[in-house]
Amino acid sequence: MRVLIVDDHSIFRSGLRADLDEGIEVVGEAADVDGAVRAIQALEPHVVLLDVHLPGGEGGGGAEVLRRSGRLLDRVRFLALSVSDSAEDVVGVIRAGARGYITKGSSGADVSRAVRAVADGDAVFSPRLAGFVLDAFGAAAGEQAERDEELDRLTAREREVMRLIARGYAYKEVASRLFISIKTVESHVSAVLRKLQLSSRHELAAWALARRLL
Amino acid sequence: MLVAGVCAAVARHLGLRVRSVRLLALVLTLAGGSGPLLYGWLWAFTPHEPAATPAEADTGARREVPGAALLLVLAVAAALLTLIAAPSAGERLPGGALETIVASSAAVAWSLGLDRGDPTRSARYGFVVRTASAALLLLVGTALLLQQPWVLTTIAAVLMLTLGVVVLLIPRVVELWSEVIAERSGRVREEQRAEIAAHLHDSVLQTLALIQNRAEPQSEIARLARAQERELREWLFAEPGVDPGDLAVELQRYAAELELEYPVRFEVVTVGEAALSSGALAGAAREAMLNAARHAGGEVSVYLEASPEELTVFIRDHGPGFDPAVVEEGRLGVRESIIGRMTRSGGAAAVRSSVDGTEIELRGPRA
Repeated sequence: MRVLIVDDHSIFRSGLRADLDEGIEVVGEAADVDGAVRAIQALEPHVVLLDVHLPGGEGGGGAEVLRRSGRLLDRVRFLALSVSDSAEDVVGVIRAGARGYITKGSSGADVSRAVRAVADGDAVFSPRLAGFVLDAFGAAAGEQAERDEELDRLTAREREVMRLIARGYAYKEVASRLFISIKTVESHVSAVLRKLQLSSRHELAAWALARRLL
Repeated sequence: MLVAGVCAAVARHLGLRVRSVRLLALVLTLAGGSGPLLYGWLWAFTPHEPAATPAEADTGARREVPGAALLLVLAVAAALLTLIAAPSAGERLPGGALETIVASSAAVAWSLGLDRGDPTRSARYGFVVRTASAALLLLVGTALLLQQPWVLTTIAAVLMLTLGVVVLLIPRVVELWSEVIAERSGRVREEQRAEIAAHLHDSVLQTLALIQNRAEPQSEIARLARAQERELREWLFAEPGVDPGDLAVELQRYAAELELEYPVRFEVVTVGEAALSSGALAGAAREAMLNAARHAGGEVSVYLEASPEELTVFIRDHGPGFDPAVVEEGRLGVRESIIGRMTRSGGAAAVRSSVDGTEIELRGPRA
């Protein structure tokens, strides 16, 4: 598994490199937006570990890297990393195309697991991201989609899955709690990720706009 | 206080004794008469000192003489004189025209310069004085223009009309100007804060995250770094107008306290509209968090969902768990402080425990 680490702090990069599991090969590092875009094009890694706050480029940070690597999004998967899990940051990178988000405080084992999940095409949601999603789609106020393909609201099952993730359940635990398979949990999460990226709910637009990401 | 307290103020300002200042004033008055002039000047222009006590305010000095109103009366008299003298003035400037200009301008100047900072003069009073002065100037100016237009009268009239219009506009301009100034300084402050926040974010917050990563998960260092990170984050992303009595804020705060005391890491996620904490729900949630910190430790998730009707809190740990059916033995906390408290307050509590951990669910009506 080939991984590129993009972060402007060299200590963090080397720390992460040392912490990742065997079997995950770090093929390169980049420290700013332009460097990241070049490295992604040259190396085409499986997964890019992308810091949300990056210097350089036009000041758009991680989301700008994603936008400028748009052509490669079906081959290269992005996992966003951030110290500040503020809604604007997280929603911004996810909408720009990242497949998941974890905090920098996560252990090496957690990051490795997330990298593998993203490489397999799954979405990685932290409890906090699940909380944002429930908030953004008005789930607490009882809004619910009538049809699966509706983009602006969550279905009852999706809401249930998000709620369990926000409560600190791992996918496996969600599956046994809801008597469904892990694969089904993963497909629900992927569906939510798609909605998060494509929905035009004004909450999402406003969050992204707050970071000038649209 | 003999007249208006000017001597006392001067004495305090210069660090002299009141009596010697008064003596000096008396000498100046007797020798040449400049004492009263100086006194009046100081009285008019010295900044008003707020009274320290209500009693002092009662006996305190005020600029009792309504200078602006007196000047306005003077201006009215001069204006009448001008209007009477104008038809027979011929080529000369009618008597009183200059006096009208000077007196009404002085009234406006007094109102803007002195009365605005004086709490005993209302804004309405200032407005009336200024509008009346402007009206007077416009009236006399127009009247002069309608007379035979000689050079001097035309100049005086145009001057009056201009002054009148300016006086009417001044308060609005002053207001706009102070708005611009306030807005600019507010923006500068906001920019500075954003800059500091960005810097702290890129340096300190990253370092704190790194320390937590490198240190043993439950070590003292990791916990301290986490507490500091939380504090800094709170400051960086503080949302203005968040009620400190908000249940979400309270749970965050309590989580931070527990993290310092026990080897535990709380992840607090909140969803929905802000909610005031009802006493019972907050108390039960705190008890559940304390239990999790004490008996389980490690990673603990706290999830608060605030729907329009009710509040739900989940506290989940990954400890060894216990059998809720036999909670009698010593774990009074769960039965009394959590389940009992919730049912008494019209809510509900449920405990699910297994080898994978314990989850406590609390449900209560919105406060």
